[in-house]
Amino acid sequence: MTHPLAGHLEVDESAKTVRHYRYAVERMTRILAGWMALTPELSAKLLMGRHVWDTAQHADAWGKRLPELRAAAQVSEPANARLAAFLDAVEAAERPEQTIERVVAIYRVLKPHLLAIYEAHLASANAVYEPPTCRILTRCIEDERRHVAAGETILRHLLRAPEQETRARACEARLWRLLEAAGGVTGAGPVARATAAAAPPAPLSDDAAEFIRLEQSAGTWPIAPALAQALSGFGDALIADDASAARRWLAPEVELGPDLQTRLRGAQVSRQSIVACARVGEQRLVKLRLDGARDGVTLLLRWVPSGSDWRIAALQPVAAAPPRPA
Amino acid sequence: MERPIAYDKLAREDRLVRMRARDVAQFKIEQGLPPFPDLLSRDSIKERVHGIMVGELQAMEGAGRTVYDFPDAPWEFTMDMARQVWDESRHVEIYIRLLEHLDGYIGEFPETTILWRCACAEDAAARVAGVNRGLEGLACDVFNQLVHIARKMGDPILERAVDYVLADEITHVRMGSKWLTRLTEGDPERRRRAIEFQETIDERFNLGGIRREGPHELVPISIATEARREGGFTDEEIARLIKTTQRSAVY
Repeated sequence: MTHPLAGHLEVDESAKTVRHYRYAVERMTRILAGWMALTPELSAKLLMGRHVWDTAQHADAWGKRLPELRAAAQVSEPANARLAAFLDAVEAAERPEQTIERVVAIYRVLKPHLLAIYEAHLASANAVYEPPTCRILTRCIEDERRHVAAGETILRHLLRAPEQETRARACEARLWRLLEAAGGVTGAGPVARATAAAAPPAPLSDDAAEFIRLEQSAGTWPIAPALAQALSGFGDALIADDASAARRWLAPEVELGPDLQTRLRGAQVSRQSIVACARVGEQRLVKLRLDGARDGVTLLLRWVPSGSDWRIAALQPVAAAPPRPA
Repeated sequence: MERPIAYDKLAREDRLVRMRARDVAQFKIEQGLPPFPDLLSRDSIKERVHGIMVGELQAMEGAGRTVYDFPDAPWEFTMDMARQVWDESRHVEIYIRLLEHLDGYIGEFPETTILWRCACAEDAAARVAGVNRGLEGLACDVFNQLVHIARKMGDPILERAVDYVLADEITHVRMGSKWLTRLTEGDPERRRRAIEFQETIDERFNLGGIRREGPHELVPISIATEARREGGFTDEEIARLIKTTQRSAVY
């Protein structure tokens, strides 16, 4: 039987482990915080926003524990250069269309790994002289379980097509290999990961299902019948490459322009959809998306009522997200 | 990750239409409408709430960038900014729900990025002065008035929710007051530049006389002097702000 005062870590080793935890958690906090502005999807954005504060508190708690272990407060230390390289690879997913990679990196790789090492640490920590560490581990475990479960909910929402599933698996495998090469967050390997099987029900304040509901709360746009008819007529004319028919909807000072016509022809557009409709008084700002075999073009149109009809007072192509799988 | 990011890299879902504030104002003026939504009807309140919702979104993203962009700032600064991210993310949820409460939807009005542009200052001291004191100070003005109007309209949902957000905003202003002082300790030039940046923002958000001192019912945006005092603004600063609103250019 193990002696109640037996332990698995010296005080200095314990401080070093805490610095390694803090390094990973501090970087995760900053990465999540920096990514929010680069992430278009509201649900993923809110998920990150909620978790930045939890993870900052974890880093803070680890940092405050250090002086109690005869070490300097609030110091982070990577276990090795490979761990730093792993986090650099996590951080690299900064393009708007890489939300899946961002969520996978944190919620399918780093957090499940942190959860596993926290659980292992708690299981082996001495219950007599390590309760200060155990208290922190308990809080971190509870939060990470909830985070992993929430991240999985958001991922299920984001992964709508087989090619996206493939992308997610490839990203997970690539990052997992880098984490294994580092020996995990502590550098001590072997690298394990835990699931959120025992995650408690999410309180309303960070319920991922609710973030998805909020993201989808738009419903359908209330578009007046005359405007709907005008939009459809204008879109049909562009699809038919009929500039003179399209001009019927343009205010006299507005031109389609040869560049746009060339782009539409190049894209071989064949379908149209409305992706945004905003009000400015009686005017409407509509994003009309035209998709084709080769490419897609999104136009921002400012529609102005003209008697019982509508006319386009301004037109410009805008950047848009790739079409989402049904 | 790039550090800091260009202001035009702010990522959005397609359903939001992004437009310069001055263009939106111009289109409204051309239609004989006020450039900034008043609080005289449920529809204009909805437009104001939509504007606040996208402002909260940008505030969350801005505070997040501050956590990321300044790794060498004091750790307590990072903690305050991380806390602000959490608060703002809850505010986004609150305002989306208020938008639903008012039968509105995300993207019903254009999003202007004037707040986000202010959150892209390269110096941490300028950022907290501009965002936490300039913009969050504006939020105190707007929310204080909205609470009052909601009470008068008999809408306890709007009143209670916005009042809690107001309490958070006062905390954020307080953080800004604290960090403006701490980050510029021993560097009066840096402090001067940060305050100058904040004053530029204050001037911009006076919106050509739309913000001013006066009763909630009569003034489009009334200056919340008490909330500002709680956030650490001195009487002298409040008096200076009121004075600037009297000479602001027309929008």
